[in-house]
Formats: sequence, C-alpha cells, structure tokens
Amino acid sequence: MHDDEPSLNIPSILTLAVVSFFVLRWFFNRDEGPSAGGRPRGRGIAVDPAQVEQISQMFPQLSTRDIMWDLQRNGGSVAATTERILTGRGLETPPPSFQPPIMIPSTNAQTSQATRIVSASKGGEQDLISRYNLSEKVGADSTAEFTPGAASKSAWSQNKEERQRLLQKRRDEMILAARRKMMQKDQGNTR
Amino acid sequence: MASSVAQKRLFHEYKNLSTNPPEGITAGPVSEDDMFYWEALIEGPGDTPFEGGVFAAELKFPKDYPLSPPTMKFVGGGVWHPNVYPNGTVCISILHPPGDDPNHYEHASERWSPIQSVEKILISVMSMLAEPNDESPANVEAAKMWRERRSEYEQKVRDEVRKGLGL
Repeated sequence: MHDDEPSLNIPSILTLAVVSFFVLRWFFNRDEGPSAGGRPRGRGIAVDPAQVEQISQMFPQLSTRDIMWDLQRNGGSVAATTERILTGRGLETPPPSFQPPIMIPSTNAQTSQATRIVSASKGGEQDLISRYNLSEKVGADSTAEFTPGAASKSAWSQNKEERQRLLQKRRDEMILAARRKMMQKDQGNTR
Repeated sequence: MASSVAQKRLFHEYKNLSTNPPEGITAGPVSEDDMFYWEALIEGPGDTPFEGGVFAAELKFPKDYPLSPPTMKFVGGGVWHPNVYPNGTVCISILHPPGDDPNHYEHASERWSPIQSVEKILISVMSMLAEPNDESPANVEAAKMWRERRSEYEQKVRDEVRKGLGL
C-alpha cells in the first residue's frame, strides 16, 4: 500500500520555510538597526505621502521609492530633497532592505493653494508717476539731460543699499523713458 | 530651514535679473529685508494695444518657494485683460501649482514647478498680454469685449496705458 503519513510532507516544508524566513529577517533587521547611518531618527519616521506626492509631481521621472528614501533620511524635508534634485546630485538608490510605507492617497494637499488667491484688496487707481514719486523728475527731464542707455542697464553691487538704489534707478528710468516715448509719439501724431 | 532655501534662491534670481535683465523687464525685492515681496515692471509687448505701456505688479512668494509658486498682482491702474482679475491678480497657468487644475485644460508642463523662475513668469505674463487665453477668463467683462468688440477693447487698453504713465 501507499504511505499515508510521510515524515516530511509538503505543507510542513512550506511552514518551515515561512517560519525560518521571518526568523532570519528579524535577525538581520535587528543587526543593521543601530548601525543604519548613525542617525537616531533615520529609521521608523513615517514619510508623509503628501510630501512624496508633491515631489513626484514636480519630478515625475523619479521613482517614489527613491523619494521616500531621501525624505526618510533627511527627516521629512521636502525643501532639502528638492534642493538635492535641483543641484544635480540626484537621489540615492535605497538599499533593497528599505521598505517604503504604504501610500495613502492625499486629497487635501492642494486645496489650500486655491483659496489663497481669492483675498485681495482694491488698491485705489494710481498712475506710475505718483506711485513712484516721479512727478519732479517728469518736469525736470524734458529731453534735456537724458543719457540714453545709461550704464545702469545691467548693474549689480556687493552693497545692499547700492543695489537697492540701482534697482530703483532702473525702475524710474523705465517708466520715464516710456512716458517720453509716448509723448513724442503724441507730438508726431498732432503735427 | 525651508525659508532659508527660499531666500537663497530668491536672492540668486534677483542677481540674475539685475545683471542680465530680459528685454522690457525690471524686477526685484521692494526691500532686501523681505525677500518674499517683490515688485516688477513689465513693458507692454509691441504690436499690441499694450505697446508703449509700463505695468507694475507685486509678487508675493510663499515661504516654501520654489516648491509653491508666487502670486502676482498688477498694482496701480487696472490692467484690462481677460486673464487679469478686476483687482489685478494675474491668472496664468505658470502661476498654478502642478496638482491644482480644477478645469483640466492645462498641461502639467505649463504649470509651476521649481525649475521655473521669476523671469519665466514675467516673460509668460508679457506674452499673455499679447495673446489672451480665452479658455478661462478671470475678467469676464474684458473677455467678452475682447471676443465681441475688439476695437473697443483695444481703445480701452490704450487709454489705460496712457493713464498709467500719467498722461
């Protein structure tokens, strides 16, 4: 007849395999635990799925796994991860043992953006001349002392106040030049 | 931490815009004490009713710039344009974050991402002035006028251009 109860049947081999898999995994995880990068909070931080989504929308070519790995390692800073990607350093490939937490689709990540635009105050109508206090300069430079294409076209200074002044000068010149041009056009039309 | 990344980036953009300014654009922080608040001047594009005009706009940057886009609002005189709200706020795809597309007509590539910049925004706004996007009017009245009574629209814009220059 045939053997009804072999000493080692298929179900028991499977059970043994599964049990030893878990035992081994526990063993190796415990081993690498304390030495993982020397960062105490590197492990176990839950990555915010909204952050992962935010980054993967900006950089669709990157794998979510890489993004999660980087976020987890830098403590969940979207700014740091983005900076890293933008500066061309790229993201590291996570080790095979890295198990990303399960993604939960985020629904309210973007809604706060839309509401922000609505609020705005009605700043009274005002032309650029009065806005930038140019009325004096408008009278002063009736085509007389105008240096076309002055050196201030592209200017940068190491000094903060100087920079501010240069910017203001460029701004003023742009408005005054436009005004002059418009007036010249008017004169041309009436003649 | 996040805001220092933003400040560094904004300062860098400010420097680039100052040393190598695009044609017809001046932009920078109102005061360097607050890098998150800028003012920009844009020249009206040629061969349009905006030609010859100069338009001032304020740009407000979020603390997590460049992850999120700034908002842009024309100040002073109004800008009569289908894609500019009556209060001056500019409605253009590059100012919309990638996930935020209630109308599903913009491509992700047109929308904001950290590889965009202030310069790109201002150039986009310039070309928006020349070519209104009729699909999502922010100023319904202006859009209607632009569509149905083009010459009236152009005359109104020309009048406002002169008013803006104090003429």
